[in-house]
Amino acid sequence: MKVLRDITSDYSKNFMLVLAIAIGVFGIGSILGGYSVIKREMTDNYMGTVPASATIEVEDGITKELLDSVKQFPGIKEAERHATRVARMKVGEKWYPLLLFIIDDFKDKRTNKVYHITGEIEPATGTMLVERTAFVVMQAKEGDELIIKTPHGQPQKIKLVGTVHDPGLAPAWQEQTGYGYITLSTLELLGETQGFDQLRILVNEQSDSKEYITEKAQAVAEQLKQSGHEVHEIQVPPPGRHPHQSQMTAVMTIFIVFSFLVLILGSILVATSMAQLMVKQVRQIGVMKTFGATSMQLTGLYIAMIALLCIVALIIAIPLSMLAATGFYNQIAILLNLEIRNNAIPSWVPLLQVGSGIIIPMIAAAFPVIRGSRISVRSALDNHGVNQLNLNKNSWTVKLSNLSFLSETFRLSIRNVFRQRSRLVMTLGLLAAGGAMFMTAMNVSAAWNENLKRIYTQRLYDLEIKLNNTIDANAVIGKIKNLSGVNAVEGWNYSPTSVSNANSFEITQTYPDKGHGSFTMLALPIPTRLLSPTVTEGRWLDSSATNDVVLNQTARGSLKIGDRVSFSIDGKPTDWRVIGFTEDVGSPATAYVSLDVFSKLTNTNGSVKMLRISYSDRSQENAMLKNSKVEALLEKENISISATIPVWLLHNAIAAHMKVIVNSLMAMAILMALVGTLGLMSTMSMNILERTREIGVMRALGATPDKIRNLVVWEGLFIGALSIFIAIILSLILSSYMGRFIGNMAFRTPLSLTISTLALGIWVVIIVVGSYLATIFPARRANKITTREALAYE
Amino acid sequence: MNQMKNKNLIELTNVTKSFQLASGTFQALKNVTLGIEKGKLVAVTGKSGSGKSTLLNILTGIDKPSSGSVHINGVRVDTLAESALASWRGKNIGVVFQFFQLLPTLTILENVMLPMDFCNSYPKKERKERAFKLLEQVNILEQADKFPSALSGGQQQRAAIARALANDPPIIVADEPTGNLDSQTANSIFELFAQLTRSGKTVIIVTHEKEFSEFFETTIAISDGVIINSELVFA
Repeated sequence: MKVLRDITSDYSKNFMLVLAIAIGVFGIGSILGGYSVIKREMTDNYMGTVPASATIEVEDGITKELLDSVKQFPGIKEAERHATRVARMKVGEKWYPLLLFIIDDFKDKRTNKVYHITGEIEPATGTMLVERTAFVVMQAKEGDELIIKTPHGQPQKIKLVGTVHDPGLAPAWQEQTGYGYITLSTLELLGETQGFDQLRILVNEQSDSKEYITEKAQAVAEQLKQSGHEVHEIQVPPPGRHPHQSQMTAVMTIFIVFSFLVLILGSILVATSMAQLMVKQVRQIGVMKTFGATSMQLTGLYIAMIALLCIVALIIAIPLSMLAATGFYNQIAILLNLEIRNNAIPSWVPLLQVGSGIIIPMIAAAFPVIRGSRISVRSALDNHGVNQLNLNKNSWTVKLSNLSFLSETFRLSIRNVFRQRSRLVMTLGLLAAGGAMFMTAMNVSAAWNENLKRIYTQRLYDLEIKLNNTIDANAVIGKIKNLSGVNAVEGWNYSPTSVSNANSFEITQTYPDKGHGSFTMLALPIPTRLLSPTVTEGRWLDSSATNDVVLNQTARGSLKIGDRVSFSIDGKPTDWRVIGFTEDVGSPATAYVSLDVFSKLTNTNGSVKMLRISYSDRSQENAMLKNSKVEALLEKENISISATIPVWLLHNAIAAHMKVIVNSLMAMAILMALVGTLGLMSTMSMNILERTREIGVMRALGATPDKIRNLVVWEGLFIGALSIFIAIILSLILSSYMGRFIGNMAFRTPLSLTISTLALGIWVVIIVVGSYLATIFPARRANKITTREALAYE
Repeated sequence: MNQMKNKNLIELTNVTKSFQLASGTFQALKNVTLGIEKGKLVAVTGKSGSGKSTLLNILTGIDKPSSGSVHINGVRVDTLAESALASWRGKNIGVVFQFFQLLPTLTILENVMLPMDFCNSYPKKERKERAFKLLEQVNILEQADKFPSALSGGQQQRAAIARALANDPPIIVADEPTGNLDSQTANSIFELFAQLTRSGKTVIIVTHEKEFSEFFETTIAISDGVIINSELVFA
């Protein structure tokens, strides 16, 4: 009965306590709920497509007979033929990359399946199915026609007749690329003569072993080779791993760390609130003890009270956290192109919430409750409002407040801040952690933006054009140079490559989207005007005649400066000496070599297959305009373009990759800031409640309500200022760690430590406003009660 | 009456104070009228619940009467707003509590300086010197830099009296100031109060302790909210 009466006697105070517990429980539930669903659905979505264990690329078309023979190969569960073609699509007046997937049998697809959403299941000749996220990039809808140009064909209108979902692909808007699914006859209609040149296989056993898959794929490739087929490459993407798995792992790791932090902060808030409750109960404890209550009985009484409050908090927090988790996983699903098929949050999440929402507050509150319950009868009854403190005049807090310019009121504010040190530590912990998280989120985001800017400082070109055939470099370069606004043009060459192995098959980690996991050899003129690489070790290419290679961080592996390495070009091994390593932003694994050496090795002297062009005005608007002019010129010259990659498009694509992480960090930071401010409010309420009598004394001594309010507000602002100082230090450590962690995990580039002054500014404003709001209400409450009531307060 | 009013530092006229309780209205003071002259040491006595603390609260402006008027040192205090009342109180009334109520985070010296800061009554540079003088006056100068917890009860009460004198108020009001002290210490405190009246202060003390009656020039005896010793009642 006493428990119920105590709870109902002070609604506002107990509401605070319930809110403190509820926020912690809400944080855990929303994060872990979202995390558990995304983790499950990501695996289910991706594995549901039955991703091929390996893809073997061959020179000529794969016949049905050949396919049947591979199916009989020991250890091979399934085989399917396939083709992928990089084309271009016209959106408005501009050309964008389009990845065409040529499917053998839409109705009986065995590997890398797609989920049919609407429209046709099998597109007729001259029509195409589209990945659901690509319509935005195409600026089209089902039923529209899209102009497509393949490397060897003329632009053709293709009708978009259906929509599919391909969870194996990153969202098209993230990659700034279109995804289309066509039959071989449509590819022929588009002017391409190639057949199915990819053989996708599924292994029978050890499907999660990269080594086993590679071994089987090599064995199949060997058989193909023996039967007269030329094998170009074996692609073995990391088994069972979504192309964005590493990003997801990074994000989820951060989430788990954050959710634990929220849990800890929530518990601190509970402990603070319980200590507050016990302050109010001291006199009553004395009275109950006088009547024979034991410490155990009293502890039980208050524990029951906490349990009741916890239950109310759980009833509020669990349903709300489920809603938040739903919003959270839906947002992540959009960013990762996942379809949530089963939206059930596993039962362990609410169970964990119940457990943590009861047990952790109990543990946190145990100390103040036990201490409060064990107070002696005399101490409890002797509680006359103004508590005695054992302060030492030599303590640093006293020295700090002894600065001569401080008034007695401000001196009092400062000393009051340090009066309850454990409570101060808890409040500072809450606020500083919230601030550190907030600033870290924005610092990491700023670091990423800084990193993104390096795309422009490393890439001194504005347009990269990949050609279908090698061309005479000098003839074309001169013509492009004559276009107005063109600053420089260089002819480069490139080739997909891999480290040569004993069996002489190229083995790459490339995913079916041709981007993730690929390894390219870039041959460039020495010196180049269009690339300014960040060399992290060794030196940049300085000789056009030697077989030197510089590798970027993704291609580096375990290689060292001076190592000899063999890279495969068109299936032929070539020998190189490693002279340097670079740190690229937004490049797949790349090996930079001299164009002259590359040309000699590939017998392409004087010819190039790639053009890189820079403009005097590097703005996106100008680049878009000039790109069209360059493309028009090349068309006029009958030069067939395979792909054009404007640097601004690459910049936007990489920026979109970061969206997942930054959005998540910001959401967490806001939650933390909320918990921190609530913590300050709770602390200040408790400080003032505890000193109600003291406030009465000060008023009796002549302190006006304004003086009292200033005293309290200064106290809150001082705590806030201290927390900012700690938060800045913490955020520097966290930002450095997070920048390294996120950069390395997701893109193999550690982010440099960047301090966002905007973040600091916003946080200072949040803290100043938050501290003011957190203190002004308790201050008003303190002023509302009369001096007589304050003096009579027990 | 007018002649009497001119002589009195404190005047209460037809003061009634009622409290609304769950059981109904409780009248703590019933139509009280009294006058206290300047420089007197006045005792307020009565049983628990008789209304003596309410009377003290009305005198200090800590509480307002339900009806009637309170004039102190020529100012009608019952009509002052809370903010103005606090400033007025700081300058005109020094309050001494039973449990000393020194602020634990301030040293004895800082506690004494605090009312001067609240009321901005002395130039900043002079406050410290004045506080030292007051501590010397109450014989605890050597305790100036200590925190309240390091002092005995008697020393704390002396510090509280020094604090009450900080703004040089004409009136000192003390609510059972010796209730928590041994008789020897209590005696020294009463001597201090007597000394203050000799220097022109008016001291009003709520007390139960009859053994110190020799110190008092006037006694206000209250019972059930009514003053029962007629020499102070003018109505």
